[in-house]
Amino acid sequence: MASIKGTRGRGIALHAVLVAGLLLSAFPFYWAVIMSTHTSSEIFSYPPKLLPGSHFAENVRSLFDNIDFFGSMLNSLLVAGSVTFLVLLFDSLAAFVFAKFRFPGRRLLFGLLMLIFMVPTQLAIIPQFVMMAKIGWIGSMTALIVPAAANAFGIFWMRQYMRSAIHDELLDASRIDGAHFLRQYWHVALPVVRPGLAFLGIFTFMGQWNDYAWPLISLTNPDNVTLQVALSQLNGTHGTTDYGMVMTGALLALVPLLIVFAIGAKQIIGDLGKGAIR
Amino acid sequence: MATALDKPPVVAQRTPAARPRSALRKYWHLYAAISPFYLLFLAFGLVPVGFSLYLSFHRWDGLGTMEWAGLSQYQYLLGDSDFWSSIGNTILIWALATFPMIFLAMVTAVMLNSAVRFKNVYRFAYFLPNVTSVVAIAIVFGSVFSTNFGLVNALLQAVGLDQVAWLNTPWGIKIAIATLMTWQWTGYNAIIFLAGLQTVPSELYEAARVDGANPVQTFFRITLPMLRPTLLFVLVVSTVTGLQSFTEAQVLLQNTSNDSTFSGGPGHAGRTMVLYFFQQTFDNNDFGYGAAVAWGIFLVVVIFSIINWRLVQRRGED
Amino acid sequence: MRLSRRGLLRAGLAGTAATALGGLASGCAVPTGSTGRNMVLWYWDGGLGDTVLKKARARYDSTVDLQAIKIGGYYRSKLITTMTGRAHIPDIAGLKGEDMASYLPDADQFVDLRTLGAGKYQDQYLPWKWEQGIADDGTMVGFPIDCGPVAHYYQYQVFRRAGLPYEPADVSAELNTWEKFFAAGEQLKKRIPGTSLLTDVNSVFENIVQQGAKRYVDKDRHFIGDQEHVRHAWDLAVQAKRRGIVSDLVTGTPDQISAVDSGKLPSQLGASWASYDIKNGNPRTKGRWRIADMPVRPANNGGSFLSITKACREPEQAFEIVAWMLNAANQASGYVDAGLFPSTPASYELKQLRAPDPFFGGQVTTDVFGPAAQKIAIAYNSPYDVALGQPIKDEIKNVGVLGKDPDQAWSDAMSKCRRIAKHLGVDY
Repeated sequence: MASIKGTRGRGIALHAVLVAGLLLSAFPFYWAVIMSTHTSSEIFSYPPKLLPGSHFAENVRSLFDNIDFFGSMLNSLLVAGSVTFLVLLFDSLAAFVFAKFRFPGRRLLFGLLMLIFMVPTQLAIIPQFVMMAKIGWIGSMTALIVPAAANAFGIFWMRQYMRSAIHDELLDASRIDGAHFLRQYWHVALPVVRPGLAFLGIFTFMGQWNDYAWPLISLTNPDNVTLQVALSQLNGTHGTTDYGMVMTGALLALVPLLIVFAIGAKQIIGDLGKGAIR
Repeated sequence: MATALDKPPVVAQRTPAARPRSALRKYWHLYAAISPFYLLFLAFGLVPVGFSLYLSFHRWDGLGTMEWAGLSQYQYLLGDSDFWSSIGNTILIWALATFPMIFLAMVTAVMLNSAVRFKNVYRFAYFLPNVTSVVAIAIVFGSVFSTNFGLVNALLQAVGLDQVAWLNTPWGIKIAIATLMTWQWTGYNAIIFLAGLQTVPSELYEAARVDGANPVQTFFRITLPMLRPTLLFVLVVSTVTGLQSFTEAQVLLQNTSNDSTFSGGPGHAGRTMVLYFFQQTFDNNDFGYGAAVAWGIFLVVVIFSIINWRLVQRRGED
Repeated sequence: MRLSRRGLLRAGLAGTAATALGGLASGCAVPTGSTGRNMVLWYWDGGLGDTVLKKARARYDSTVDLQAIKIGGYYRSKLITTMTGRAHIPDIAGLKGEDMASYLPDADQFVDLRTLGAGKYQDQYLPWKWEQGIADDGTMVGFPIDCGPVAHYYQYQVFRRAGLPYEPADVSAELNTWEKFFAAGEQLKKRIPGTSLLTDVNSVFENIVQQGAKRYVDKDRHFIGDQEHVRHAWDLAVQAKRRGIVSDLVTGTPDQISAVDSGKLPSQLGASWASYDIKNGNPRTKGRWRIADMPVRPANNGGSFLSITKACREPEQAFEIVAWMLNAANQASGYVDAGLFPSTPASYELKQLRAPDPFFGGQVTTDVFGPAAQKIAIAYNSPYDVALGQPIKDEIKNVGVLGKDPDQAWSDAMSKCRRIAKHLGVDY
């Protein structure tokens, strides 16, 4: 039996380690903030600057002069929001089926899903572009939204999650017809897996928000580029990159993400913490 | 393949379908519910992937006419030392990042599971690194690992050690990339482990405590076995994503001279498989060979995923 | 905050539908290529001067709506992908000088500028530059924007302290061979410890190759990267390493910029556009720099072109705009805006290029770059140069940065080239 004093000592040590980890997690953010308040040449001087400089406003101004920051942010919101919504819907439906039902071909289909998960579809970027061009989606955000509307990762993760989170007793095995199935999904499954949805939602939103390679190739119309594509225009060709401005852009691009994260994290932390998975 | 995870679902229509058609009629709503993913893959995944297979049997610069090349692209691939070294780079970077990351994530999760106060604050903060875009954070790490003005070297100097040209030596490059990945993914995986930990019934811990097990024994006898499904998930996901990584190396090692951004730094030490694909495709305009490289990458990813799967599965059967 | 599922579903559906429909609608509104009025031009950050673009837009406003689009990221990848997909191809496309050779085999994707009357402008442009934009079959793909004559950038006071020649004319005259250049590097390092004359061996190797008329593959698809002109550049680069006049940094990295700032790299071989890099990256070094001729003879690095794609519906109109934007007067304004050194010698006499530059201690840099630009050799650039030059550049970098044995590096480079040559159908 540990004494109360011993427990407290261990608690303090635990918190010390956790705080150290927290500082390590947070440090690069701090560093990014520092970079965004300096000019490029201040960033590249020795010894490293550890305190904020005075060029933040100037960096913000040249950022807004160079790109349509808020316009492209709106586009990013539309794309990431739509994709997240669709992914949550389609992935959770499929995951529910794989987690809780038996039907012919289930294993085969799930194995296929895992195989697809491993296919590096990003490497088929040229054929994808040619195909999108044929459909006429190049240059529009549809080309970003529709192909991303369901994914193997999300189904895999939600299935793992639902298998333990949804109690079998809750599901009525006797009559499963189409309507009943949907009702089960809506009234039994979804309320229980809310934290899981929040997690997947945040993760999907983040991924879309930060996505870069495909939008860069497929968005040709300057009016509907996403934020990351706009930010990529800040890199000069011949050593003229203004790192202070680039970091300022990257930091400001993070703000909406943090807001979404804070909203969703409440769900994760609140419910996941209460041991919703069991 | 899915057998490892499958505890058979309890709610199930246990009669196996006698005939496909009656199965379809009976289970149509289930097939409908899972169909969007497969339909989308058919339309936007399979067609391009199939086309890239077709491409890999041709010579093509993207603009001119395609020439039939038979198996020659694959023949060349097998003897391409650059491709093999890019596989080596990728696996090394992946291992350097994944194993410390899983270890740290697990330790963090166990600590978070026992620390009662401020749990939510920690969780929130640990997850933050995952929110940032790789592009932005690679610039930050580039300055942290810089030879002249970087923080790491400043610290080394402060304790009297020699400076290391991190981004100029093969190992330094790999360590810098792996550090970035570890930083970005540890918290994320810790949260996932934590979710797994909370599925462990507290009675088990209670029993262990009564038996007089110390925390380390408890971890290996109870926590780890119970975490296996989570571990499998984490391993598979980090394998699939880690083996396809390239942005970290690309942004960290980019320079603004006329050098290719896909070269992966001095000695190509940071050139991962996917970077090599981009280099072949876009620097050399060799779309046919690029497609062959893509299929090589796919094979490597599949082999590694199967190995992972087997490893975790076997331990599960002990 | 509890969000109701129904509410979320409804909001999500509405938002997604609106975005998707909006996307579809705008997708239809922008047809492939141009309509008569719409004229799309693609370039990259710093590829054209802002003033010229603005003036061109105003000047041709009555006939076309000129839309200049700045493309971020990897310009060539995006242009080629777009042309492969045959959708949204720009009417006028910038082509980077270093990529030019790889576009030329597909000259049929571009309008032959000779058919639009480009010939009458030829004598206004640098001959070697004009030649670079022409394919093997004579099709003229690219109309010259700028060029990148290479010169020797150095810091006046540092050279003076090191006992080296320090006036531009003296530096040009006295460091006119590689032997004298390297000897100066040794002296610099001895007198001022911690400094290096050059950043890396690649700047020696690549500039020497660029000085000549031959690269890595010739017109008949023969690999010539194993011949004397490359071997000579290799040996001198190895010598630079052996004599210790190069740093262990990589050109264009933040580390190098920082080393320039702290005075560890008081000299470099850079193209005309490098003056922009130094001004932006190292504003604190203002006034310290001067420019002199590089050893032996000038080389070129970079400089780009404008082309008209086959997707353009009004090639005559497009060509009129291109030729106007790139005339001598407008090239001078591009020089002021974006540091694009004109490919039109007539510009060198204009006041924009005759202005003393305080960053270079009041020197008129055109006095160095102008004559250099006119002395550059006409070279044949093969579409295979990138693939077959890369292994050699990689290996010389390994020698310079990682300290690899030069003989081993050379034989590794050659065996790699042999494989690649065979794969690409180039004779070795």
